[in-house]
Order: sequence, then structure tokens, then C-alpha cells
Amino acid sequence: MTERSTKHSTIVLERTYDTSPARVFAAWSNPDALLRWGSPSEGWDVAYERFDFRTGGSDVSRFGPRGGPVFVNETFYQDIVLNTRIVSASNMTSDDKRLFAGLLTVEFIAAGKACRMVMTEQGAFLDGHDKPENHEAGWNEMLDNLGIELKRTQAAA
Amino acid sequence: MTDRSVTHATFVIERVYDASPARVFAAFSDPAARDRWFVKSDGWPIAEYTFDFRVGGHESGRFSPDGTMMVYNETIYQDIVPDNRMVFAYTMMIGDKRISASLATVELKPEGKKTRLFYTEQGAFLDGLDQVADREKGCRDLYEQLAVELERDTATA
Repeated sequence: MTERSTKHSTIVLERTYDTSPARVFAAWSNPDALLRWGSPSEGWDVAYERFDFRTGGSDVSRFGPRGGPVFVNETFYQDIVLNTRIVSASNMTSDDKRLFAGLLTVEFIAAGKACRMVMTEQGAFLDGHDKPENHEAGWNEMLDNLGIELKRTQAAA
Repeated sequence: MTDRSVTHATFVIERVYDASPARVFAAFSDPAARDRWFVKSDGWPIAEYTFDFRVGGHESGRFSPDGTMMVYNETIYQDIVPDNRMVFAYTMMIGDKRISASLATVELKPEGKKTRLFYTEQGAFLDGLDQVADREKGCRDLYEQLAVELERDTATA
């Protein structure tokens, strides 16, 4: 029998991107953009089974290192304010084990011509299957990728 | 235009009940018990209520304290371990304004013949429409109601 435990943690990460809040928000609301930047590590595959970005909607994605374990993430959109805020709840499973449940807030704040983005993940890490350090490292990589994505699409525009 | 803001906060309520974890868990999962201590705890008229206690299931209620103002509560169960743990995401609305989104964890730990309950709420309080202290007080009142429910249960058992 699994020893049950819950570790609660709050991770706050901040970035300033040299573009408008509308463009940063768009990168969170479009599945094609998310597939480009939303991979927590090099060499990981991500695929969406369902994507319904609206308050009350949900998405399901499968991801993981190629040839390795598959993680399933389900996100429920709780509050969306266009170009301003996204609040979502999610849970993550792998091999029928629930690893994590969390609440994610992303705030998009205009700062001159740039966008200051503040991301807050309030998480419950379940039964020692996952760790806040892993999430923080994964998110840092993704937010750096998002910066690259925004530069790339800016240049292409 | 509303001034948008998010206040993040975590609070923990700890309480010992003179009942086994199985009995405390049943007060969450059994619709009749849930109805007594949770749904009708404020004595507010209920316009609508649905309850689907399983992972991925929803619980939603629409209440009106005065027949005019509508309060909505929408819960999605993220993790359920019988007699041990429940994790759920919930949002609250007043009228058409969302006032909060939260992740809540209930942990039940046996202590002799009793149960120590830990309620951890990790919340995002929106646009200054709700206060952390009020939410914490509301939750404390609720867990007092649970004690009354469990006493009632013992008396009738």
C-alpha cells in the first residue's frame, strides 16, 4: 500500500517579455503555440487530446520524455480575463497514480511596451511522486521557451 | 472597467474529531450527510444543487441569502483516496463576478480512535471581491458544522 502524503507548495515566477500582453496571452490560449513552447524539457513529446480554452472548459495533454513514462495532465479553466489573467486548476497522473493537483494563475501586466508576466502555481504534491523543485525547473524552461517563441513570431510578423 | 488583481494565500485548519477516518470521510461522500453540514450549513435557500463525488466529478450549488444576491459554488474533485484524502478545486461567484478560485486538500489522519483533519486551502482571491480572513472564518465555521454532524451521527448510531 502506498504511504499517503501531501506536500503543499507555492511557486512564483516572473518574466518580462518585450511584447504586448495580448501577444503573451495569445501564446497561452493557442494549442499550436503551446505545443511549441510548453514542453518542460528538451526531447519531450507533448500532444493535446482535447483543448477548450474558455472559462468552464478543459484540456487534456499527454507528455513525457521520448520512450519514457507518459504523464497525463488535465486542466480546468476557472477564470479567463482576456489579455489580463488566466486561472486554471489541473491534475497530473502517470500509470494510474495521481502525482499532483494545482491551481495556476498567470497574470499579464502591461509595462510600457513590454509585458510583465507573473505566474503563481499553488500545488499539492501527492504521495512523494513529484516535487516542487521539478515543477520550478520545468516551468523555468518553459517560460524561457516562451520568450524564444515570442521573439520568433515577432520576427515572422 | 474593473481593476483586476489577484491575492494568493494559503491557510490551514486543523481539527480533531471524535470519530474514525472512515466516518469523517463518509460525512463528505454521503449525500445526506453532506447536505446537512455543508449544503445547508448557512441555512440559505438553495436554488440548485448537484453532487457527483468521484475524481473528475462536479459539485455545484446556487444559493441566495436574501432572494436577490446569487452565490455560486462550483467544485471539481481532483483526487479522492477513501478514508484518507480529498483534493478539490473550487470557484465562488457572486452574481456574475468570480471572487475566488481555490485548491483545497482535506487530509484525514487516524489518532487512536479519533481523526485529525487538516484542511489546506490554496486560494487566488480575485479583484478584491473577497478577503482571505473571511474565507478562513467561513471554513472554520464549516468544520465546526462537521463536528455537529459527527456528534449527531454518534447519537443516532
